[in-house]
Amino acid sequence: MILRRTAVLAVGLVALVCGFAASLALGAVQVPLHDVIDALLGKAEPGPFKQIVLTLRLPRTVEAMVVGAGLGVAGALLQGALGNPLASPDVIGVTAGAGFGAVLILLVFPGSIALLPVGALVFGLAAAALVFAIAWTGQNAGSVGKLILAGIAMAALFTAGTTSLMTAYPDRVQSVIFFIAGGLTSEGWRELEVVWPYLAVGFVIALGLIRPLDRLALGDDVAASLGARPRLVRLGAGIAAALLAAGAAALAGLLGFLGLIVPHVVRLAGGTASHTFVVPASAVGGAALLVAGDTLARTVRAPIELPVGPLMVVIGVPLFLWLLRKAV
Amino acid sequence: MQRGDTALEVTDLRVDLGGKTVLDGAGLTLRAGELVTVVGPNGAGKSTMVRAAAGLQAFQRGAVEWMGRPLDAVRGRKLALIRAFVPQRGRVPDGVTVNDAVTIGRSAHLRMLQRATRADQKAVNRALERAGVSGFRDRHLSTLSGGELQRVQIAVALAQEAPVLMADEPTSQLDLGATVDVAKLLRGLADDGLAVLLVAHDLSLAAAVADEVVVIHQGRSVATGPPGQALDAARLREVWGVDASLEMAGGRTALHVAWLGR
Repeated sequence: MILRRTAVLAVGLVALVCGFAASLALGAVQVPLHDVIDALLGKAEPGPFKQIVLTLRLPRTVEAMVVGAGLGVAGALLQGALGNPLASPDVIGVTAGAGFGAVLILLVFPGSIALLPVGALVFGLAAAALVFAIAWTGQNAGSVGKLILAGIAMAALFTAGTTSLMTAYPDRVQSVIFFIAGGLTSEGWRELEVVWPYLAVGFVIALGLIRPLDRLALGDDVAASLGARPRLVRLGAGIAAALLAAGAAALAGLLGFLGLIVPHVVRLAGGTASHTFVVPASAVGGAALLVAGDTLARTVRAPIELPVGPLMVVIGVPLFLWLLRKAV
Repeated sequence: MQRGDTALEVTDLRVDLGGKTVLDGAGLTLRAGELVTVVGPNGAGKSTMVRAAAGLQAFQRGAVEWMGRPLDAVRGRKLALIRAFVPQRGRVPDGVTVNDAVTIGRSAHLRMLQRATRADQKAVNRALERAGVSGFRDRHLSTLSGGELQRVQIAVALAQEAPVLMADEPTSQLDLGATVDVAKLLRGLADDGLAVLLVAHDLSLAAAVADEVVVIHQGRSVATGPPGQALDAARLREVWGVDASLEMAGGRTALHVAWLGR
């Protein structure tokens, strides 16, 4: 049992390291691996290779890793907290809110494109905050059903807002497609500098919720009788997931599918739903999957970049279905 | 806690749910080494009383004292070290093994990021053994039968190693054999010195296992005493509206019911 979990985690880490190396080495220009290592260790001579590795590919690779890890953890938190295998950052409205925020900047204020991650972050968090405010007041405050319904309603509202904006600015819609499809850019550290504190807080909360989430697995009554506070745990998980998913959307657009699928892959591969395993393994798995996916997206038709979102779905779905067939 | 010491004292409890008074004037006393069964018709407030006593349900009036201390003084993990609670319908999550589930029961002994020690693992093993579920500790919960699942729920509670065990209708979905297994287990735990509080539907089961029966009717405790006394024919007629009598002899119990009123 323990052996299998360790093996899955080890495979994930190896895949992540390989993906990291490939992501730095491959692309429109091939950089030999020893030059990549030299550049990372600061031993490279100034030149195009060093330039490409350190200022273009390294930020992008790090972004892919944190986005993949963030979405994986967000999905694991929500699936655990809501006790629902269908949960993903989509169900608390974050994805739709972030999409609206980004589209608002892209279409209405195209001159302030630098604000795109801020818009995605702010509206993603605002949507989640509205969902929590609705779900945690009145009768049945904090119940799973109420949270999911509030999330679906809010997602519908923001999606309608996005569609309306796109209808209002048909000539600019082209610029939105890349964000909605989901994809990373090679624009240095600028976006990460805005977003990293939100992601960091999300990851730290997630770490603290690992054991409380395990208690929720057996139902709210068992959790409460063990001294946990189910509603508080659920709120904490929701807030952490909102921070991670909104941060991820700000960096890489709408890749919510990763948040749904990664925890499932990890659970099926590890044969356990224990959060001590699922949360860290989802972080590693999500990071590895997105780094690999982004590398593929940049290389298969180089120099054309494919949008990584649809590509992830194309890679992820067969893997997921294969594991699903094997599962008990 | 010594055998015979009062573990739980509930007095004059009142609970309103959604504007309706569900309990008013409910009470019971539970001592170490005793099994007390709470019985009553559907909707009488049995589960609500036990949940309120367990700290899972807020109440409007009355007092709940654990080991002589008011409920408010022993919230959270402190309370989890005093009493374990087996819910009526536990959730059965996917991908969780029996061993995982019982380990979760042990978590009340751990602080936030503290790791389980060898002593904790031993407590989990003891709980698995005591509940008779160690033979399938690596199976997933979703593959277990109703009876096996209920014994796992009890094992989860036993891993808490609390001196009081509360179980809310643990046998309501079980067949005869599985019910007998759970009954023997709960009786055995009381004989080991635990204080056991059992909410039950089945009066002949309640009479067979209980030292004392508490009858709840329309939100009040209307009788408390040994089974033969608390469940006499007059009370069965008054509370359940049925012409019936309870027979107890040589460890066997039977409920004789005039099913069709004749």
